[in-house]
Amino acid sequence: MSITALQYPMPQLPSTEPIRAKRWSPTKVISNATLLVIGAFFLLPMLWLFAASVDSSASWQLKIPDFTTRNYFLALQPDYTRALVNSLILSLIATIVATVAAFMAAYSFSRQHIPWKGPILLAILFLSGVPISILIVPIYKMFSYVGWLSIFPTAVLLGVTALPFEIYLIKNAVDAIPLDLEEAAHIEKASTWKILSRIVIPLTLPGIASAAIFGFVNAWGNFLIPLVLISRAAEQPGPVRMYGFMNSVAINYGAVAAFSILYSLPVVILYLLMSRSFRAGFVLGGAVR
Amino acid sequence: MVELVSNPDARTLDALVAENGARLDKPRFKPSSLLLLFPAAALLIGLFIYPVGYSVYLGFTNLQLIGPNAIHFRFTGLQNVYFLLSDQVFYRSIWLTLVFVVGSGAVGTTILGLVIALALQSALTSVRMVVSSLAIVAWTLPPAAIAIIWYAATTQGGVFPVMFGYPHADALYDHAMLVVSLANTWSLAGLAAIIFSAALRNVPQEMLEAAKLEDANAYQRLTRLTLPILKPTILTSALLMTLLSFGNFTLIYLMTKGGPSGDSNILPVYSYLQGFTFKKLGYAALLGDVIVLMSGALGIAYVWLAQARRSGRSPKSFSV
Repeated sequence: MSITALQYPMPQLPSTEPIRAKRWSPTKVISNATLLVIGAFFLLPMLWLFAASVDSSASWQLKIPDFTTRNYFLALQPDYTRALVNSLILSLIATIVATVAAFMAAYSFSRQHIPWKGPILLAILFLSGVPISILIVPIYKMFSYVGWLSIFPTAVLLGVTALPFEIYLIKNAVDAIPLDLEEAAHIEKASTWKILSRIVIPLTLPGIASAAIFGFVNAWGNFLIPLVLISRAAEQPGPVRMYGFMNSVAINYGAVAAFSILYSLPVVILYLLMSRSFRAGFVLGGAVR
Repeated sequence: MVELVSNPDARTLDALVAENGARLDKPRFKPSSLLLLFPAAALLIGLFIYPVGYSVYLGFTNLQLIGPNAIHFRFTGLQNVYFLLSDQVFYRSIWLTLVFVVGSGAVGTTILGLVIALALQSALTSVRMVVSSLAIVAWTLPPAAIAIIWYAATTQGGVFPVMFGYPHADALYDHAMLVVSLANTWSLAGLAAIIFSAALRNVPQEMLEAAKLEDANAYQRLTRLTLPILKPTILTSALLMTLLSFGNFTLIYLMTKGGPSGDSNILPVYSYLQGFTFKKLGYAALLGDVIVLMSGALGIAYVWLAQARRSGRSPKSFSV
């Protein structure tokens, strides 16, 4: 305030300029213009998806739709809902397997004395960066040898591909809880299970949730692993079905668009609902202590 | 940081422990830890570490998808490596992979995400809401949906060819690599923007205000203060985007199958095609090994860059 008082020594003439910041500084104009261009870059390809999904004469072109809801009825036929249910089964199993295993390991790494903890954590960190495509050939060979080319083993594998990163996310969350709480409970003779269920799990829930969402989305979006590892067409998940759509002779563009929207919706909703906790969990620094 | 140096004092303590049994003043290894670690360890070893090792072995065999060598395959030594070294498609594929994961992934996505995060700081509320949700939705969309969206946007009569005045051009066919790179950047920039927004919140406001009082203009504040402070985040983002781009080959597979005539044939796609289209699983496994070596080399390069930049200060902790 003293600065403004110096700049305007005559108080009888109130300044028309706001004190905080100019409304349209060059920085602000450039920022907003840049964002509008980038926004168009993001929006334009998406527009087609929405327009075509309600267009009875859809093609690859973006145009004003002849409104119809028939595409959604087509995309909700039993054959296609079956694919979505398969996606759900696949993703849920993967999420549960990975999150339970990751929580147990993360708690142990965070709270217990484990020999070679540092090198083991570095190895896990390295695993989370290994491109998954290397697994396709050896896993195909292994699964076909024991006759596991079906939905359940594939779901477990998809869980394992998310496991290293989930261990990191949950370990960061457990590290953030003050140790005093557990010690206090320990002094009060609470059992290990009680400490976990009453203190650790409730407090790490945002971290666990973000890890679980990561696992779910990782499995939901995967295309090539189910395509190779699930031999029965009836067990194939959504994206493989969509691939069939795209490669059929007479493409029904409207139905493809409607199915993509139905298929994408759960993931987008999950993210938007949990975005706060997800961003909180997305701390990459300080992973190895 | 991992300390591997053992000092002599510790060794004598270890000797004492051996004589007198476990020490009570130090945390000890509890058997219950094994129980907690077992599921993750079994899953990671059985379905991740062992397959990676198995893939190294398979890379030196003549394993095929079907036919006589499907079951009775054998070790063929360096035969696959000789084939690899004389494979012109492979060399082209390495170059295309670098363009995809470093060009569009590390550089493109990081720059776009940084620009979005910086611009969001001084944007109108409505613009900020719309653009940030668009970028985040683009990031959350599954790869198969992104492939369809970008196929539609760049094929004949799609949004982008029409917008630039060539409605009959098939951008996806003519410039396959450019299109799939743009699609990759489009799909990852939202995540980069989230990372940079979080990092920008940690830039100390006092420094920026002090710079303002010293009459530093916006450009000077950006290049002299904000960007140097963000340097570690920039390298983290570059590494993360490189790895995510390696995983994003589904986009390419769905949009172009590596074509036309190998124009977008990056290594993961080439490996899949060799294995499951040309039935040469052994060669596909070797290509997979090359992918892991390549991502490892890129990862080491970024970590090295990060360490080199940070050498003036003492590293606080080992971060990705």
